[in-house]
Amino acid sequence: MRFEDLELEQLLPTIEVKVTQEMITRFACASLDFNPIHIDPVWAKKINLLGYGKTIAHGQWTIDKLTQVVTNWCYAEGGKLKSIDIKLIHPIFAGDTIKFNGKVVAKHPRREDSFCEIELWAENQNGEKVAVGVAEVFIK
Amino acid sequence: MVHIRLSEEAEQLVRKDLKTEKQKKYNFDFFIDEEKYIRWEDVEIGMEAWSEKEFEVKEEDIKAYLEATDNYNPVFWEEGVAPPMFLTTIAFWLIGDSFVGSWIKTPGAINPGQKIEFYEPIKVGDVIRVKMRAHDKFIKREKRYLTYYNEFVNQRGEIVAKWWGTLILPISKSKEEHKIEGVRR
Repeated sequence: MRFEDLELEQLLPTIEVKVTQEMITRFACASLDFNPIHIDPVWAKKINLLGYGKTIAHGQWTIDKLTQVVTNWCYAEGGKLKSIDIKLIHPIFAGDTIKFNGKVVAKHPRREDSFCEIELWAENQNGEKVAVGVAEVFIK
Repeated sequence: MVHIRLSEEAEQLVRKDLKTEKQKKYNFDFFIDEEKYIRWEDVEIGMEAWSEKEFEVKEEDIKAYLEATDNYNPVFWEEGVAPPMFLTTIAFWLIGDSFVGSWIKTPGAINPGQKIEFYEPIKVGDVIRVKMRAHDKFIKREKRYLTYYNEFVNQRGEIVAKWWGTLILPISKSKEEHKIEGVRR
């Protein structure tokens, strides 16, 4: 992969994940984010969390998956994430199937450290966007 | 006062997934000591502090994170380099356990999105610390947002990441408010 060869509107390989409570709890342990909104279905039901009464997946898990779209695409070839700016716009629940997507939308040529902008978005099985954002990525 | 704690169901699920030394040491019941967490009302913009703890990056920390995120990219597995969002684990270890950053553990806090810049890679053997600064707090559409600017540095003093971390915090943690909301107590 070379910076010169990148094409605008080029799509990155998508990641698709079926979310389970076990997966959410596993991420809680790995990230140390044990907020009960993620790991305690009993409490979530009791307080009717966000009007749904169900636990929600970590926003940080969603952000991780969006960054994986980038790292799967370019890290083996020397690419490197420069920044991310992600908005989480809809909760993700156990049982949802989420697709994580990326697309090259801008190129920033530099004598050294050229980088591109990747538009990132995640959508659920109903086609609703659950997260949107931008990553800047150094490509050699 | 009735102390709220995690349900047995949640605790059982968590206990079977605790693998690393840090995970086993970490207090996974965020209700415990909740009354000691710093509150939205208490934060003054500009207040800053270094984390009291350090995060020594071990191979088991990175591998546990990769497994939990179904990330099998050999770049991370074979080269001892942490994936970018491993920073979340570091943040909860360092910030969540610091008094000034304890608000990130507030039960019911919601993540509206994050902005992060990445610099030096984080590798096995690195020792990471963070300087936290209260960056902004605001009310928008009746929600209370709090943003900290966090600068993560390694043992050589090199910046590894700058993270503008934002959460929406529950309206109030006062007993009366929670009684009204039916959240707790």
